[in-house]
This record gives sequence, structure tokens and C-alpha cells, in this order.
Amino acid sequence: MSMTVEGKVERKGFGAGTWALVSDSKTYELHKPPQALMKVGLQVKVQGEVRSDIMTIAMIGPVLEVKEFEILSES
Amino acid sequence: MKRFLLVCLFVVGLVFALAQYQGLATQGTYDTIAIDLREDVPNAQRDQAIQRLTRDYGAKLNSQFSEPDHVYILKGDQKLLQQLRRSDLKQLAESVEPNYQYRAFDFPNDPDYGKQWNLRSINVEAAWDETRGSGITVAVIDTGVSQVPDLETTKLVPGYDFVNDREDATDDNGHGTHVAGTIAQSTNNNYGVAGIAYEANLMPLKVLSSGGGGTVADIAEAIRYAADNGADVINMSLGGGGESDLLKEAIDYAHQKNVVIIAAAGNAGENSAAYPARYPHVIGVAALGASGDRAPYSNYGAGIDLSAPGGLISEEGGQTGGILQNTIDPSTGEAVFAAFQGTSMAAPHVAGVAALVKATGIKEPDAVLEILQQSARKLPEDPLNYYGAGQLDAAGAVKLALKGQLNFRDFFRWLRDNGYLNPRFWIDGGVVALMPKILMVLGSYLLAWFLKNYFPFAWSWSLSTGLVAGSTGLFFLRGFYVFDLPQWPFRMMGSSIPELGSAMQGTSSLNPLFASVLIPAILVITLLGHANWKWFAIGSSLGVAACLVVSAILSPHLLWLGDGLLARGFLLSNALLCYRLAALAAKPNVRTMVQG
Repeated sequence: MSMTVEGKVERKGFGAGTWALVSDSKTYELHKPPQALMKVGLQVKVQGEVRSDIMTIAMIGPVLEVKEFEILSES
Repeated sequence: MKRFLLVCLFVVGLVFALAQYQGLATQGTYDTIAIDLREDVPNAQRDQAIQRLTRDYGAKLNSQFSEPDHVYILKGDQKLLQQLRRSDLKQLAESVEPNYQYRAFDFPNDPDYGKQWNLRSINVEAAWDETRGSGITVAVIDTGVSQVPDLETTKLVPGYDFVNDREDATDDNGHGTHVAGTIAQSTNNNYGVAGIAYEANLMPLKVLSSGGGGTVADIAEAIRYAADNGADVINMSLGGGGESDLLKEAIDYAHQKNVVIIAAAGNAGENSAAYPARYPHVIGVAALGASGDRAPYSNYGAGIDLSAPGGLISEEGGQTGGILQNTIDPSTGEAVFAAFQGTSMAAPHVAGVAALVKATGIKEPDAVLEILQQSARKLPEDPLNYYGAGQLDAAGAVKLALKGQLNFRDFFRWLRDNGYLNPRFWIDGGVVALMPKILMVLGSYLLAWFLKNYFPFAWSWSLSTGLVAGSTGLFFLRGFYVFDLPQWPFRMMGSSIPELGSAMQGTSSLNPLFASVLIPAILVITLLGHANWKWFAIGSSLGVAACLVVSAILSPHLLWLGDGLLARGFLLSNALLCYRLAALAAKPNVRTMVQG
């Protein structure tokens, strides 16, 4: 299921830590995010796919595999 | 002679062993002594004793409630205890005994156990009193398990790495090792922290990569692997994705094989648990913070069966609210102690307790869930199902599991609690005075030995039986009590011939009709013609002689004759007559004389 999500990159403290994309309505777990996305506070627009076949230790929300992304602002 | 010496040695050994043996009931430490003064002595005498106790030994009333019973406590060790028992104070006391310190449960010696608020909050210490999960295998379906130093004494059984398709299921993330630690961290090893079912085996099954994610297909395969390879409990601190038939079938398969399956509810703070916690036959676990309230990240609602500590680490980076275990630092691969939070941490608490419950002998997973839920601490109001059946309680679960089960531990504890393991119960000092009994046996053997020197005869079964019957009887039987059974048969069997009269009457004074030469004489006259039974009569006669001598010296209580010189004279002269009778009967020619 391909989709586009706009939100803020956050680090969630489950296990050793997980990268999350927090939108207004939902929190997504970023699956294998590119290095450039791994920065707390980035405002981004991500185009990707929700992987319903993947389970994780973080369990913070749908697992979003990043296909393309755009950094809107660094705060 | 050699035989006599052997018998003597045996008896001395027996006495020594009994004197040394303290019994399990009396094991323990004490640094105070409890003295219970008698109520049936004159007040003045008791007051004097109290004065001496308080002045010389610094004794104090145990509490304000001890006054009517006169129970005093004083500081002292074994030496003082013995000294008091030998002193004349003993005469005024009902008991002088060690004031044992009772300790409810074992505290593990792991130095950082104090930081594990989570283990105390599930009441695990009292559960360890019953079981530590020995014989149970818990499969950890996670990022793998590395045998960090604080898992060194924990048994790991072969697992599998489904991510890299290999047998070595070492952890490269740190999550799985942490989860495994909560379940079975090496405990009481003077190192690090503790785990819940620390005598259980761990089966590491790696399905999640170093990044912490993995596929449904691998997870389903790992569940089947665990069920086929002897796992009793499966822990899945993972979740997400959608509904999957593959996973559902694997769960049903494991459930049919009596595997208890536990999964984390998920950390999205949403209404309804994530998969796989949400599937039927999976125990979904929500997380609690250190205060016992729901952790804000924890999912709730549908699919939550129970709640357990998951911890809550504050934004400022404080670790105290988290769950502390030994794991690896993924960036270096080195072992570290780390505090994590999440429903991932809550699930292994339930898995550990499920292992403890299974170790008590409960097999069916539905029965395990029933026990976990029934024993959980209920919350008065929980309209949104934050907590499922309630907060996990390890001791409650294990005790409920053991209820109605007759097992060895339970039986042993019953024995211990009722003092049956104390030899003083079986050979009760109050009922049977052990020392006189042993003197009687020794005395009768000594007499038989004297006789043997004058009249050559062989030791035989009938002679020994006679000696025992005459001197002591099966005296240990007298201290034998079985609930609801009449005690007199034991008292009779436990009595020697001279004591039979008093055993029948239930008194402690000897009856002169029985405590005399009368019965031995009847036995000798009746049995003299029989080659074997003659020796029983002779043995009885000697035994009675020994018993009468010992009684004459130690406790000459006779019915009608009192306990003075008259009684002593009666007993001693009858003892002499018994000995003469035995000597006469043992003469080789007596048999022909009587028969002729």
C-alpha cells in the first residue's frame, strides 16, 4: 500500500531506540530509513509503503518503508 | 563379645546421631533466647526467677501480650542456652529455647536486585519459595539471545536464526537478550540482576534483524519450531502488521501442543492490541509503570488479557523507571546493563510466571491463562480494559496452581510445619524418656552377655526379641501419633512387659503385677519345653531384669507402693529374681529336669 505522509521525525525509546514519523493523525515506524532521515526534528514528506508483513520490537504503529522523501524544514 | 561390642557401638552411635541431629524444623539462626516461665509455680518463686532473668541476663518481656504467659526474651547464644537449660531456672520454665529468626523468602544476592522494582511488584520472591521454573523451556522469538555474563548459569537450549538461516541465534540488537534476561537472568550468582524463572531453559529464536524488524513468515516458522522442539512457553515481544493466516495457524498449532503463547500488546497507545497479541490463544500483555498505573504508550482494549511491568523512562533520560537487565550494546557488541521500556518488557514478565506455573505441573495453556488471570490483582474500575484481568502476581499464580495438588514439596512442607521432621516428635521426650530406654536395652544385653559367659548359648532371634520385649518394647512407637487413630495400640506395642500394666491404664506409674518376676516366670514355665521359644522367655526375663533395675534407679514410681524405698526394694529384688530365673532356665540340664 503506497502512501505519502507528512510529519516530524522522532526517536522513540523502545529497545535500543526506533525512528518514527509522527504525523497529525498517526505515528509510523520508519523501516530501514536512509541516513539522511535519521535526525530528530526533521519536518519531512515521505512517500513509501506500509509493510503489513513485518513485525517489530517497537510496535509504535504501521511500519513505513521509505521509497522517496523530501525534507521540508529542519527544526 | 564382639557382637556385644558391635551392639554397644551401634547404640552409642544412634544416641550420638540423635543428639546431633537438629531436625529440619529447628534449623535456623538466633541471637536471642525465649524463656516461657511456668504458671503453676508459686508467684514468689516466679517473681524471683523473673528478677534474676532481668538482672543477670537483661531479659525483657517479649511484648505487652506476653505478660500472662510469662514469655521473656534475652540476648544469648548456644552456650548461654545450654547454661540456662542446666540451671535451676529450667525447673521454673515450661521451655527454654532458641528464639529463631524467621525469614519469609529468599532474597537473591544479585547486587543490583534492589533496582528491580518490577520483580518486587509482581511478588516474585514468594513464588521462588515454590519453584524457579526448573524443567521448563521458554522460547524467545526475538532478535536472538547472546549469552552475556549474567546469563552464564542460565541454560540455553539449541535455537535457530531464521533471519540468516543458521543455527547460531546470537543477538545483534540487544532486545532479545534483554527480554531473555527478564525471563531467566542468572540469579543468586552474586552478579548483576535477577530473572523470574531463572532455572528454566531459554530457546533463542532469531526472527528480527539488527534493525528490530522481521517477517511474518519467519515468525510463524519460529513458532512451529518452538512447538516441535519442546518449548513450553513462547514469548513474542514483537508486533505490528496485519492479520495473517500463516501466523494464526502456527499459533493454533503450538496451542494444540500445549505451548503457552505470550505477546506484547504494542506501544502505539492505541485502543486494541497489535498482532500477534490480538490472536486467540495468545496472552496479550499491557505495560505498567513503576507506580502500577498503565504506561501511557501501552495499547489497551481488545486483546489485552493481563498487565505487567513494562517501565516508563522519563524524557530526561532517567533510567530508574525502566526494566533493568543485562544485554548487549548493538554498536559495540559488548555486554551492558540497560533499562528498557515497553510492552516488550511486560510480556516476558508474564512468560516467566507462566514458566513457574507450568513448572508446578499445569500443562494446558488455557489452564495456565486461567490461573494467571484469576491470581492477578484486580483493579476496581477499568472500563477501557487497560489492565485485562489485572496486574500480574507471580506468588498468587504459583500458589493457585499448587492449590489442590498433592506434591512432594507440599507434603514436605506440611511435615515440616507440623514438626514431623523433628525426631523429637517421633521419639517424643515427653512420652518416651529416651535415655532410660537405651540403658534398658544396653542393660539387658549386658546381662545376657554375663549369662553367656557362664552358660554357653547362641544368640538367636528369639533371645533378642525377648530381650527387647522385656526391657523396652518397641518404645519408639509410643511417640507415634496418627490423626484420628486410637493411640493405645502404639502405646501397647511400644511398652515393655513391666510397662504393660501402666500402658493399659494410661498412667506413668508401673503396675507391680507387671513390673515383677511374675510374667517372666509364667513365660519360662510355659515355654521351657520349646527349643526356640525358651530363649524368648529367657530374653524376656533378662530384659525385665534390666528394665526393673533402671526403673529402680531412675524413676521408681509404683502403683500402690509409691516411689520410696519400698518401691526401689521391690523393683531390685524382682530384678534379681528375674536374673536368677533366666540363669536357671539357661542351664543346659534344666529342660530335662523339668521334663523328667
